[in-house]
Amino acid sequence: MLLVQVIVGGLLLGAIYALFSSGLTLIWGMMNFINFAHGEFVMLGMYVTLLVVVWLGGGPATFGFAAAFTLFVLGVVVYLSLIRYVLRGPMLAQILSTFGLALLLRYTAFWVFSANFVSLPQTSLSGTINIGGVLMPVPQLVAGLIAIVLTVSLHLMLTRTAVGSQLLAVAEDRSAAMLMGIRPDRMQALAWGLSAGAAGIAGALMAIAYPWSPSVGETFGLTAFVVVALGGFGSVPGALFAGLIIGLIQALSAFWFGPIYKDIVVYALFVALLWLRPQGLMGKA
Amino acid sequence: MVAATGPHGQSVKKIPALTPTVLLAAGLLLYPLVFSGPFYLDIGVTFLLAAISASAWNIVGGYAGQVSVGHAMFFGLGAYSPLLCYTLFGWAPIAGIPFGIAFSIALAVLIGIPTFRLTGHYFSMATIAVAELIRIYFGTWDLVGAAIGLQGPATARGWWDLTFRSELPYYYIFLAVLAILLCLTSMIERRRFGYYLRAIKAGERAARSLGVSVQQTKIRALALSAAFTSVAGSLYSVKTGFVDPESGFGILVSVQMVIIAALGGAGRLYGPLLGALILIPLQSATNTWFGGGGSGLTFILYGGIIVLIARYEPGGVFELWENVAPRIWRRKHAA
Amino acid sequence: MKRFCLLIGAAAAAALFTMVPTHAADSVKIGILWPLTGNAAAAGQASKAAAEVAADIVNNAHPELGDLPLAKSTGLPNMGGAKLELVFVDHQGNPSLAQQLATRLITQDKVNVLMGAYQSSCSFTATAVAERYGIPFMVGESAAGNITGRGFKWVFRGTPIASDYARTYMRFFADMKRQGRKVDTIAVVNENTDYGTSVADAIVDEAKKADIPVAARIPYIANSSDVSAQVLQLKEKKPDVVIFISYTADSILYMKTMKNLDYEPPMVIGDDTGFSDPSFIPAVADVAQGAMNRSAWAIGKPGSTTYKINEMYKAKTGRDLDDTSARNMQSFFALADAINRSGSTDPERIREALTKTDLKPDQLIMGYQGVKFDNTGQNILAATYLIQLQDKKYELVWPDNAATAKLQWPMAGWKK
Repeated sequence: MLLVQVIVGGLLLGAIYALFSSGLTLIWGMMNFINFAHGEFVMLGMYVTLLVVVWLGGGPATFGFAAAFTLFVLGVVVYLSLIRYVLRGPMLAQILSTFGLALLLRYTAFWVFSANFVSLPQTSLSGTINIGGVLMPVPQLVAGLIAIVLTVSLHLMLTRTAVGSQLLAVAEDRSAAMLMGIRPDRMQALAWGLSAGAAGIAGALMAIAYPWSPSVGETFGLTAFVVVALGGFGSVPGALFAGLIIGLIQALSAFWFGPIYKDIVVYALFVALLWLRPQGLMGKA
Repeated sequence: MVAATGPHGQSVKKIPALTPTVLLAAGLLLYPLVFSGPFYLDIGVTFLLAAISASAWNIVGGYAGQVSVGHAMFFGLGAYSPLLCYTLFGWAPIAGIPFGIAFSIALAVLIGIPTFRLTGHYFSMATIAVAELIRIYFGTWDLVGAAIGLQGPATARGWWDLTFRSELPYYYIFLAVLAILLCLTSMIERRRFGYYLRAIKAGERAARSLGVSVQQTKIRALALSAAFTSVAGSLYSVKTGFVDPESGFGILVSVQMVIIAALGGAGRLYGPLLGALILIPLQSATNTWFGGGGSGLTFILYGGIIVLIARYEPGGVFELWENVAPRIWRRKHAA
Repeated sequence: MKRFCLLIGAAAAAALFTMVPTHAADSVKIGILWPLTGNAAAAGQASKAAAEVAADIVNNAHPELGDLPLAKSTGLPNMGGAKLELVFVDHQGNPSLAQQLATRLITQDKVNVLMGAYQSSCSFTATAVAERYGIPFMVGESAAGNITGRGFKWVFRGTPIASDYARTYMRFFADMKRQGRKVDTIAVVNENTDYGTSVADAIVDEAKKADIPVAARIPYIANSSDVSAQVLQLKEKKPDVVIFISYTADSILYMKTMKNLDYEPPMVIGDDTGFSDPSFIPAVADVAQGAMNRSAWAIGKPGSTTYKINEMYKAKTGRDLDDTSARNMQSFFALADAINRSGSTDPERIREALTKTDLKPDQLIMGYQGVKFDNTGQNILAATYLIQLQDKKYELVWPDNAATAKLQWPMAGWKK
């Protein structure tokens, strides 16, 4: 029974990782671009949620939408004012730009909201569900469901809609897409908006489960990179599976070997797996 | 300037190429005479240390284009070795430096074999993972002081402990190491090895088809880079007299090397030096002016300037210099 | 050129003229190193505000604060009313930066004494600089045992250390056993940096001496995304008391996760830090009723000195004074007292005064037995209370002679 509880807990944690990483993998895959500021996007989503709850008293639907919308706009603005110019530059310039952006966003939040930890007042999503003796906290459960919904809809959007094919066309070959009458700039701005919007939703859900401060992005940031790399850069369903697997490995290794070893196990397996399968779990070779 | 004149009459071309080197060397040698206060000397020492580690990173990250974000693993091994020798055996910390170099080279070869199969972001991710693995492991390992870390001798037992009250000896020791590293790098730049590295950066497949043994070249570059990064780590811990998992193996240590090299110009001899010349004074100045206020303005400015440089000078500040410098020279010579 | 010289001369004369009458009331510079950004920023910022309140108390007349040394007078009475001038720097939790900033404070800002540095790593490097230059360094709060006792002459620590805390817990357990409460096994859950490791090691040592079996010692990595593995392990081991040595985010997460996984030990003791963070109570008050916490700070009854100090702090920050900042504040007061007694800005004389410090309990804001430094510089009279979360605030429940409320055992958790 205990083991079942550990496994369920690991999967629920994995869902949070998947949620956190879905936007990251979109950008990574489409533009071969690492966004070091993704954790800061999630952090801003959490603060937007707090402001909406405290000022407007909105429920999950309200603050979820508010966070997604605000971050979508931020994503587009960031693309148009910064990313557009470094996108075709050297990889190192890309690292510089989003690393600088991450510091800028984190410490702007620090300035505005102070370094103190905050948490959301109780909402309708608090509490625990008991299924046959296995306990499941509602916020994580909802996060898990939303992660699946988000992944599936992003995947469907990319593979089944016209906008999706245009996005993928730009990712595949920018100039060819341009010849087809697609405006790459517009598509890529949209991708950044979607990625940041997904981060906003992740932030809104994580705000229910976690206390946070402006540096919360670091807590999840590194794990998110592992999730994305393991899933295969750019594979949205890959990120979901990788997130669940990493959550599960962390929970089991924390339970069996002790919590300080859980990250060691994840990183060791990650390096081993990259050696055996350099393209990630679901990435194309 | 006569010494710079080539035998075949390329004197006009040579002067602009060598003069900055002479000026730079003179500036660095004379800095302690101008800024003799211990605080400014310490900033100078910090700058040199940053320049050494970024230049060491530059060999594999810049010239060969293999963006490692885990160089802290070598820095940390280098930082721990001297203090471990002191703590365990009571040796002078400096005696640990060769061990740090040896461990780092061994580690470089060990991880180079599997990770160099990976390219681009996968390689970066793998290096991060290895560095984090080592950091967490050191935090649980009692022999190396676990989370609390190791300390050096509080007061020197003799000159060989290299524990000085003044910053001046550190400054010149660090400067000498930097000079050796840059000489070596500039030699490599002109040798076959350097061409191989740049060929790999330009395209691995093409390099291979030209007969470059890609894997072996990469590992040799990593080993060389690791050795110097390790020396940087040793210098750090001997000077600071302290190391813990975060200051030795922390991801910020790795990121700082990448940022400095990228800021100045990766794959250029003086790129990392220039990057450190911008970043370290910037860090010190913003922290001096705004740090005590505690508003976080330090990092807002710091982050903002990094973003602006990435936006307007994606190739690093060195490119800007290359574009501007010849014009200045021309004007001078015309006058 | 001549006119310029004249101008300079005139300015110098004017400066001299204005300086002479105020010479007696020179200021004393205290350089303070704390992490004002980075991971421990919240603690550094709170302590900064506490030091500013303390400086206000010393520099201005506060007759309402009773016996608190230096409160009644304006400035330092033995130095003609000289004021304390604080110079804050931010070491960001980076030991080499702490070293550089200590150098800066001593050589550029010419501070007379230093204080800091929160993270043990930064205290190690910053105190070494102070030792080299011969400037007294007051360690306000740092966990690692060997910050004092390295043979340093210039380092003093006003706060209790890990072994003091561990012994307090054991005395508390012995007390509980005498009252017929079951404390057969304990569990220790600690975050894995210098702070958590030092305290947990001390507790395990002392528990061995007190013959209390440690059912589980669970180190974990701070700022976890998930703590359910730890909670499940505890659930399996069923200890009578669980001691958490954790920072803010983890402390809150532990309490929430215990509720989520329906695990409630008879008693939870938080080792200060995260449990004392002002954001802890609002986040978990409804699920952590009866959780205990170590603290040498108690706000006290309205009208008391500590209550008034808390009001001053609250007016400045909007939050209650927490234990960590209060301990820093107490160290600051002890430092100010020594500077006043030395009657001088000379480091050596301040150091001598520090070694002769002997503050009595009624001269303190904290629940120590006093402040008196041994020859390693450690305050040997530092002690701590245990407090308990009852309703929406902490009540002092142990030791009995200081208690303001009755101890509730076992804890109620979320079942009110």
